Amino acid sequence: MWLPLLGLLLGILLGLLTDWRIPSEYSSYLSIAVLAAFDTLIGGIRAHLQNIYDEHVFVSGFFFNIILATSLAFLGVHLGVDLYLAAVFAFGVRLFQNIAVIRRILLTKWLENRQKNRL
Amino acid sequence: MTRKTIWHFTFVSLIIGFMLAIQFQTSQEPDVRDTRDIWEIRRDLQKEQELHKQLLNEIRKYEETLEQYEQQRSENKGAILRQTVEELKKEAGLTEVVGEGIVLYIEQMYDESYVGPVSDTISADLLRRLINELNMYGAEHISIADQRLVNTTVIRDINGVTKVDSYPLRSFPIEIKVITPDAEKMYNRLKASTIADDFALENLLLTVSEPQQRVVISPYDGTVRVKRMEAVEEDRR
Repeated sequence: MWLPLLGLLLGILLGLLTDWRIPSEYSSYLSIAVLAAFDTLIGGIRAHLQNIYDEHVFVSGFFFNIILATSLAFLGVHLGVDLYLAAVFAFGVRLFQNIAVIRRILLTKWLENRQKNRL
Repeated sequence: MTRKTIWHFTFVSLIIGFMLAIQFQTSQEPDVRDTRDIWEIRRDLQKEQELHKQLLNEIRKYEETLEQYEQQRSENKGAILRQTVEELKKEAGLTEVVGEGIVLYIEQMYDESYVGPVSDTISADLLRRLINELNMYGAEHISIADQRLVNTTVIRDINGVTKVDSYPLRSFPIEIKVITPDAEKMYNRLKASTIADDFALENLLLTVSEPQQRVVISPYDGTVRVKRMEAVEEDRR
């Protein structure tokens, strides 16, 4: 359970230690990729809690979402339309929905546990 | 949660963490805050203004230099034009020329026993022939009895008198001055030429002087009238 959190911390540490910087014109791509990755991660957690988790869907979704989001941003830059907003919007909405679902599931579980303990 | 699932989540969160860190670093790059107060800003502004002034001065300096070069170039153009005009004038025979050359004299030749008619002029044909011969041998400037030969000069017979342009050749000896780059060579060629025989046929004696270091030929004294001439359209290069 703590291993993913450890991985996140390790990733941040690694990123800070390598001291990599990308050119500022590409930072929007990276931010949207981060958003897509977050979306996949939260979605994966939700699916796991709902017992519909499938590892193939999770891993393929992770990479596919990132690529789709960045290519959408790329297309937007070249068309002169802020298409990355579409990705931001879609991922943002889904992020909120998934987090809400996770919250409800956890809340339900917690309430059930409390009732069990009372009984 | 299976072990595999946990590893998947760990892997994904590692990548997310990495990307987050890089994004964070990228966006945090200008982390030096401007903490100058108004006096420091003024001082810096003054410094920048001075730099600005300096740069403007430099620009002006270089522009002046450039202008000078341009001016010099155009002046040079003028000088070259003047030089060209001088050269053309010289070539056209409008200036006095001094140089290495030879002098020819044409005199009447009668021996004691001669009793025929005496001609007091030289035929235009013969004179033209002589001039052609001289040109063939590399003459640069020619004058006949101090009449400068230019491109438009005519030698013709008018009512029995041979005239160079409008100057009549009446009295002997007639002096012909020739300037040539190699007087020695011209002298030798004239010596070998048969032109003297042609003169003898008309009872005239052609004497060729030794090559002289300094021959002065006076300028053409008429005005050059250009009747038909137009500028050549030259492509600008």
